[in-house]
Amino acid sequence: MVLGTDEFSSLARAEALARGLPHLPLVTVPHPIGGIQPAGVRAKAALVVDEVMQALTIAPRLPAAAERVEEAEMLEAPDDPDRLQAWIVERGWGDGLPVLPPTLGRVKALLGGTRRDPTEVVAVLPPRLGEATVQALAVNAALAGARPEYLPVILAAIEALADPAFNLQAIQTTTHPCSPLVIVNGPLATALGINSGAGALGPGRWANAAIGRAVRLALQNVGGARPGREDRATLGHPGKYTYCLAENEAASPWEPLHVERGFQRAVSTVTVCASEAPHNVNDHGSTTARGIAASLAGTAATVGSNNVYLEGEPLFVLGPEHAQTVAGDGWSKADLKHALFDAARVPLSRFSDENRGRFAALRPQWFQGTSGDTTVPIAATWEDVMVIVAGGAGKHSAFIPTFGRTRSVTRRIGE
Amino acid sequence: MDLLNPGGAVTRRFQPLAPRPGALAGRSLGVLDNSKPNARVLLERLAELLASRAGTASVKIWSKPSSAQPAQCLDEIARSVQVVLTGSAD
Repeated sequence: MVLGTDEFSSLARAEALARGLPHLPLVTVPHPIGGIQPAGVRAKAALVVDEVMQALTIAPRLPAAAERVEEAEMLEAPDDPDRLQAWIVERGWGDGLPVLPPTLGRVKALLGGTRRDPTEVVAVLPPRLGEATVQALAVNAALAGARPEYLPVILAAIEALADPAFNLQAIQTTTHPCSPLVIVNGPLATALGINSGAGALGPGRWANAAIGRAVRLALQNVGGARPGREDRATLGHPGKYTYCLAENEAASPWEPLHVERGFQRAVSTVTVCASEAPHNVNDHGSTTARGIAASLAGTAATVGSNNVYLEGEPLFVLGPEHAQTVAGDGWSKADLKHALFDAARVPLSRFSDENRGRFAALRPQWFQGTSGDTTVPIAATWEDVMVIVAGGAGKHSAFIPTFGRTRSVTRRIGE
Repeated sequence: MDLLNPGGAVTRRFQPLAPRPGALAGRSLGVLDNSKPNARVLLERLAELLASRAGTASVKIWSKPSSAQPAQCLDEIARSVQVVLTGSAD
């Protein structure tokens, strides 16, 4: 049987249902158990021991039928646009922003953007374990107002997210605010009008808005991660509406991300990262690579990031001006990564005693039995530091930490 | 108007639950700690209470190295004990 706190029972029930076990006994104690004294936790155990004994000895009532059709393929919805929004919100299919109706005609038009069969299962998405067929993804793309030519990017992003290395199950249900950041490389970015320059992570471009949003709606609707229910983000961040940009390859002095990862420059790819909101790095003064690196590293050496105790691939998004300054001193991208790995270190003294103890179990080489001068790196190796170039004119870059227990995944965009 | 369901059509097939052991007296108990803060404290205290109230015979404890990834030891747990307590989320 499963124990949880009352706050998280909707997630536990959704997980059980996804595995065909809605009748799995779940016993809950009052939230929280983390962050309180052990005596308080033990008292909560005493509250539920009778329930636990019952759950372990008495067989629960089985569901009425061996199987059940949970959701119909088509539903009747209001024609009026405003009533439609309310109807969508009631069903938990939207994100609070307006959506367009996924009619058969609009979805068929979207399916024209790909050669793939509509019944092909692109991925099975947790926690609901819903089948993301090409058609189901086109329905979510229709909700998001995407154009047919965006569909291959959306399909590639979903494939990448379903790669076990990404750890989608955790990212969909965590209390951490992470949301998939979709980075597009190659010629398709320009062809589709995906912004890589000024305001690339802000509003304005149809492609950035609709691609990121279609991916998020698919994760919510097919994957079943509904905010406050299975999606447990404590606060979340606005990237959960949409979070998509292209790398500014034209303005970059270095090889782009997909070439670093072994793809030909002329091939188009998506890379997905489980990312927090960007932390800005303002540097109007530095004129050397070392100076820019100090600003980037100083911003990244933060106690509250997941990367500092779970490792993973923290990302630096260099604005083109900062990138030119760094490359102007003859630094390669690898030189920059080395410098950032060496300099972005958090002193042990900045962590609370309780957290130092907790982290010692996860990164013993950094948190256990070390001297007071020890400083902790934000990744396991310099190679895990990610660097891309994006943005327009101005002397700002960004540091984007990740969930930690996740690897970014790059996929070729097919047809 | 008629709209396509963005969740896709779903048919749920239900799985049988493991049969309950009937009585707990003399049963071996396993605890799978999901590594969330204080999960082990809660689960161990429950195991102690089950021993004194229901007469469970022994307790074996497993821990996941990471709360954000599935346990690798599930087969071993199933082979080793008759009843398992585990935790979900925070």
